[in-house]
Amino acid sequence: MSSSDDAGGLSEGLAVLISGIVGIVVALAAVWYVTGLGDASTEALYRIDPTAGGGELTGVGADWTAGNTDPLLDLLVALTHAADVLMGAFVLLMLFVHWGAFRRLASRMQEPQRSPSEDGVAADGGQRTDGPQSTPSEASGGDHE
Amino acid sequence: MTSLDHGKFTRVTTYFHTLLALDVFLLFFTGYSVMFNDELWWMVEFMGGNASVLAIHRLAGLALIALTVFWVTLMLIGPGRRKNFRAAMPSPADTEAFIQDVQFVLGRADERHPNARQFAGYESDEVPLLSYIGKGVLWIFTVELVLLMVSGLLIWNKVGLSEFYQSKAVVMGFVTFHGLLGVIMLMGVMFHIFEHGFHPAFYPVELKAFVAKDAMPDHEDADSDADHEGTGIERLSLRPSWGLASNLMGGAVAIGIVSVLLASIFDEGYPVPRELAVGGGPANLLLTVGVNIGVFVLLVGLVLSTYGNVLRSRYESQREREEVTAADGGEPVDDD
Repeated sequence: MSSSDDAGGLSEGLAVLISGIVGIVVALAAVWYVTGLGDASTEALYRIDPTAGGGELTGVGADWTAGNTDPLLDLLVALTHAADVLMGAFVLLMLFVHWGAFRRLASRMQEPQRSPSEDGVAADGGQRTDGPQSTPSEASGGDHE
Repeated sequence: MTSLDHGKFTRVTTYFHTLLALDVFLLFFTGYSVMFNDELWWMVEFMGGNASVLAIHRLAGLALIALTVFWVTLMLIGPGRRKNFRAAMPSPADTEAFIQDVQFVLGRADERHPNARQFAGYESDEVPLLSYIGKGVLWIFTVELVLLMVSGLLIWNKVGLSEFYQSKAVVMGFVTFHGLLGVIMLMGVMFHIFEHGFHPAFYPVELKAFVAKDAMPDHEDADSDADHEGTGIERLSLRPSWGLASNLMGGAVAIGIVSVLLASIFDEGYPVPRELAVGGGPANLLLTVGVNIGVFVLLVGLVLSTYGNVLRSRYESQREREEVTAADGGEPVDDD
């Protein structure tokens, strides 16, 4: 662990321990709080104005109408749809840019070895070379020539 | 040459990344098998039915809150962590990096910008802690995670929420909002898997997020780096399967992104319909195939995340063996 770049008084281990405890406590407290909301008392449920919808929807179903026509929620859902579409287009653009960039980078690399049986296979699936033991990037795919 | 392409993250960061990835995959598999039930009904059955899937989703949600709060706290109190905030701030160079990336693809630039470079090689010193994509992922995921956790907590106890709003339909609206929010992250994660699994120099997985900087050897050859021009990527050989695998995966990611985007519109769920709505609209069959391809991309990501940890473990074992051998007075040798 990197404690050499220590800028404060806490060590890495202590900071991790405190952060872990804070994380677990906050998570449990949040769930404890939301599960405690509402006691499912029928007295308190669905007391929507019984005249919602001009009196035709008196009583049963009035809460459905009120919930389905909440303008704020409608706006929120519409905005999220718009954000999804915008971000989707952007992510697709990023995908194609990277796909193209990877192909161009690959064209600069050396052609694959066509006779892997001569070189043997390393335990991680990479190809064994005559060079020194590989660094992680080499082990994961990039072999020195 | 390539050692400095890794080792930018601390050990805690690499473990956190793995745990967060596992948790997010679990949340996607459970959450979207419910939201896109028309297309992913088999996943719900596979995971034990609705009650089981939602129980797992809640447990994973609890873990997500714990992980996120842990991380934010660590960033605030951890030694040397606050400078990371500066490193994560967007800068004009990030815009330049994006523009140069587009130019690079079009053949109008010879190199990727340092703020875009994943493989740095001899030019590692120029590469910042986070690329422009890395910064984007960090900030978008931060906003997304906060909104998802808040909306997730709101719909955790639907009775409580419906009592507050006096309407079941509003509760369904919040469920829809929660699911639609996650779509951005879902698409981003698919791209993230492609970006870090299918770079030709790192394929099948980039180890930056798995091998910690304290596990890296000291870079003693800095002077020789100055003797080389460019990153040195031309010295690496391509894996035989890269061409096919990257094209298949690129296609799968594109199909997956488009499909989940369309499915999120078809399978929205709000306003709550008067009648039972079965099917995903006219593109039903194609959509089903597409969404399932998207889920396959996530599965590949899960496998690659696990593989990254396997490689890290093997690499650390190898380093230990080398140190033991060298301590004997002999040269580290390749005795496999």
